[in-house]
Amino acid sequence: MGMQNAKDSFYVALRGRLAAINPERTVLLRAVVRPGIVVEEAEAPFAQLPPDVFVLRWLGLGYDPDLPSALVAEEAEIVYSTLGTQSFGGLDRGRALTEMDRELVAMLTPLQTPKLNYTATPAAAMLTNVFWDEPVFGSVVALRDRLTRSVRVVVYSYEESGE
Amino acid sequence: MSDTASRNPNGAAQMLADALLRTVAGAEATLKVTGSNPGTDQSQLGLVATTFAEVVVSPVVLRRLKPDWNEGGQSKWELLVSATGVQQAVDVFDVDSAKSLFAMTMAVTVAGQDYLIESIAANEAVGSVYLYRLLLREAGGEAV
Repeated sequence: MGMQNAKDSFYVALRGRLAAINPERTVLLRAVVRPGIVVEEAEAPFAQLPPDVFVLRWLGLGYDPDLPSALVAEEAEIVYSTLGTQSFGGLDRGRALTEMDRELVAMLTPLQTPKLNYTATPAAAMLTNVFWDEPVFGSVVALRDRLTRSVRVVVYSYEESGE
Repeated sequence: MSDTASRNPNGAAQMLADALLRTVAGAEATLKVTGSNPGTDQSQLGLVATTFAEVVVSPVVLRRLKPDWNEGGQSKWELLVSATGVQQAVDVFDVDSAKSLFAMTMAVTVAGQDYLIESIAANEAVGSVYLYRLLLREAGGEAV
């Protein structure tokens, strides 16, 4: 059962869309400035979630073999938090979170992207698409001056030969 | 009200901290600092290992903090690091501050055990840091 290509394609699609939606949202990680979305399991563990960055983590897994092509589903959680901006003394943190909500909806639209194999260089296109449900937004968690929201999306992919 | 007393920095606090650290243990720690990252898709997807550079800082003292009894919880440790040792590492990597150096540090190795940095605090005297205190957590071998 292979879901890695779908996971990789989902992340790269969101990262590319974010760079177009808000080029200012970047993160400096491992000496490189890149769009402000990271795969949690592919980075060093965070002592605390970086603010103003989308953190993608993978949760549940489902598998339906009773189809012409086996369907694999994995639940993605996208967590993001903000403290607002220093120039506003953090009083704009609600507005900053709303802006991240908007960006996330735009990143997830359309609800599909081509599946690519990133173990090849350059990435090799596969035969099917990766597609996903509408996002389910969790409640805002306020911890002192930090607002955090978690959004869940179920990502689907048909298993291709060799996966 | 600001402190306007005339006290010129003379490095006494740094020398005293170094002497105390050497007296009680005088160990050394190795910082695993992330190297240049190609920034490719593969490196962001966990397909390419990031490169490390290692730098030794000393003197340091590692002490275990009061254990708590959460099931499955990990021990926490405090690493007391000489500010002069850290400054030498800052110069080696040509970064602008100790904060940047610690931000690029993916693990700290002491006596063969890897630790992850949870938080960093600095003790200052007369406007200059003489001791860094790193709150650490034990890392599994796979974490780094």
